[in-house]
Amino acid sequence: MKLAAHILGLALALSATVAACGAAATLALGSNKLSAGNAAVSSCGVSSLSATRKASNAGTVTEVDVPSIPSACAGATLSLTLVGPGGAALGNANATVPAGGGTLVFTSFGATVLATNLLSYSFAVVGP
Amino acid sequence: MRKLLLALLGLTAIGGSVGFAATLSVGSGHLWSGSQTLTKGTCTLTGTSVTSDTDVNQLSGNGTNGGSTTMMVLPFSGFAREAFVSFDLSSCNIPSTGGADSATLSLHITNAPSSSRTIDVTPVLSSWSESLTWNLLSGLTFGTRTAQFSTGTTSDVTKTVTVTGDVDQQIKTGSVYGWRLSDSGSNSFNATTFATSESTTASSRPVLTINYEK
Repeated sequence: MKLAAHILGLALALSATVAACGAAATLALGSNKLSAGNAAVSSCGVSSLSATRKASNAGTVTEVDVPSIPSACAGATLSLTLVGPGGAALGNANATVPAGGGTLVFTSFGATVLATNLLSYSFAVVGP
Repeated sequence: MRKLLLALLGLTAIGGSVGFAATLSVGSGHLWSGSQTLTKGTCTLTGTSVTSDTDVNQLSGNGTNGGSTTMMVLPFSGFAREAFVSFDLSSCNIPSTGGADSATLSLHITNAPSSSRTIDVTPVLSSWSESLTWNLLSGLTFGTRTAQFSTGTTSDVTKTVTVTGDVDQQIKTGSVYGWRLSDSGSNSFNATTFATSESTTASSRPVLTINYEK
């Protein structure tokens, strides 16, 4: 009787595992959920962002300012990428948008970036 | 039976948490991305229409020298002279949101000193004109020295220094008004003479070259 209970338990556990994986797969592929996500994944009021940068006498980027961030983005993370020739990322920075939005000032980019190599900025705002 | 129930409960919990986590990652927060492309260009400034330059003379405290074809730097106490040069950037059409990627100032030495001197290039943070005098210097403010160069002892040579940070600031704030050229070395009657924008030799006039972004 004890042996039978163990066998039955293993069989049920195996079934449950298969069922659980199936359920997870069903959730991930649920296209209705993703379509409905259009409403949930909005821009917190950002329609465009621009940046200005300061250069040292040696020609390196010392500061990048990103102004006019909407207050609705407070708490979101703004990711800035300094892009160079060929689309190469020359440097990156992240910061949390403060209450009230406004201007974010970045002074560290993970690498020394020459202003002459800087061709564009890429921005991403995620959350909150 | 108890083991059976525990196994079932555990597996059910795992399956449930997988589905719950996926729902959170899809449905949370806001998302926006974009980019800004910069335009690069070069602007070269020289000549009287875009350049102001002069020197001031300690010996003649109220004297002006804005119309001269040369300007002198002399570190001799009582007779000291300092030169000033600035450029009007408006013809470059760089907005205040732009900036200097690199900038150089070129100065032509028409008469070199008999022994080499070191010239300090210091940004001027107050407005001045070609009517500047020695006695008006006390009303000016200056930034931190940007560059130095050695004059050497050979005349008719051009010296070029990097002034990127100053020009970048001038573009953004308009609060840099060119540079003072001075000799802070030992007391000496060794003068260095530079060509001004009024020089009859066009290639000897001061030149500001800006590689910019906007």
